[in-house]
Amino acid sequence: MEPEIARDATYYRAPDALRQRIEASVGGLARQERVPAMRRGFLMAAAFAAVALVSWNLALLHVAARADDTAHDVLSAHMRSLMAPGRVVDVESSDQHTVKPWFAGKLDYAPPVHDFSADGYPLVGGRLDYVDGHPVAALAYKRRMHTVSLFVWPEAGTADTQPKVSTLKGYSLATWTRGSMRYWAACDAAPSELARFADLMSSAPG
Amino acid sequence: MGRQTQFDQRVMPHLDAAYNLARWITRNDSDAEDVVQESFLRAYRFLESLKETDARPWVLAIVRNTAYSWLRKNRPADVVPIDDAGVLPDDIETAGHLSPAETNPEVILLQSANRKLVNQALEDLPVGFREVLVMRELEDLSYKEIASVAGIPIGTVMSRLSRGRDLLRRAIDVRLRRAS
Repeated sequence: MEPEIARDATYYRAPDALRQRIEASVGGLARQERVPAMRRGFLMAAAFAAVALVSWNLALLHVAARADDTAHDVLSAHMRSLMAPGRVVDVESSDQHTVKPWFAGKLDYAPPVHDFSADGYPLVGGRLDYVDGHPVAALAYKRRMHTVSLFVWPEAGTADTQPKVSTLKGYSLATWTRGSMRYWAACDAAPSELARFADLMSSAPG
Repeated sequence: MGRQTQFDQRVMPHLDAAYNLARWITRNDSDAEDVVQESFLRAYRFLESLKETDARPWVLAIVRNTAYSWLRKNRPADVVPIDDAGVLPDDIETAGHLSPAETNPEVILLQSANRKLVNQALEDLPVGFREVLVMRELEDLSYKEIASVAGIPIGTVMSRLSRGRDLLRRAIDVRLRRAS
């Protein structure tokens, strides 16, 4: 009988312990991949959501608080101008080509000035005021017996927004942005009358 | 199909083949276990590279690579390059399989003697011959499969098998002569 590999060489079979070790470590790998991946993903999503929620709320609160502050500021400026005779306008003119150049040299921006006499909101004139921590262009319009104050200042990097009308202490307020300018209007007429003014102003050319 | 299920169904069935090859390359039980364990973790990670064919050559290729890395690190003297430029002999498949083992005591004695003889002679062969003989004779892999596992041309597989058998026969003869 000739010695021969296929018959005589030992075929080594894997010990059971090895099989169990491999199954355990592969199972471990699989769990690492599966469960923690899910858990990690979930935790990260949850953490992200929490942070997003908190910062979103803070941002909203911040924006709301700022808007609220500004609204009070706007209303104060509007009321001051009505209380002090001669404070409504510094330049009295229904001619936008008189009012607009008046701001030149007083502000580092040119507020858009329009006369809406044809729509029932004649331009009265303009003045400087101080709102939200900076000098602003203030324009006065008439609406029948009411005075509309319009405040304009630059607000860089903001997208145009539609007018938003609110009321504060019985006064109507409206605010919107257009062409990187922030607009605030205040009036003791009905909110709908201010809304109409806001629409005229925010859709006026240039 | 989940990754682990795929691993269980396609890779795990070749655990014995993997261990046998690792055991014959490292010539040591615990080293073979380490090599196979590492190989199977690698196989799990590289499961994407397993195509829709027989997984055995794929598994054995990983085992062989791991075993060789292990040898180079721990027993560099074992990794001897083989000069394959030798002329391919005519009788490639001379060592055919013999008749099934008989059961009389004399034969069993002889068989166990042969077992010892063959195991020792095979272990003493350079690893490059040893591995192709194991894959061919014990795993019954085709030339093509051996070529893909060992990363050598089919012609080289055939010449190494032939030379390996020659070397083995001579080693056995030497041992037999020494014993008598």
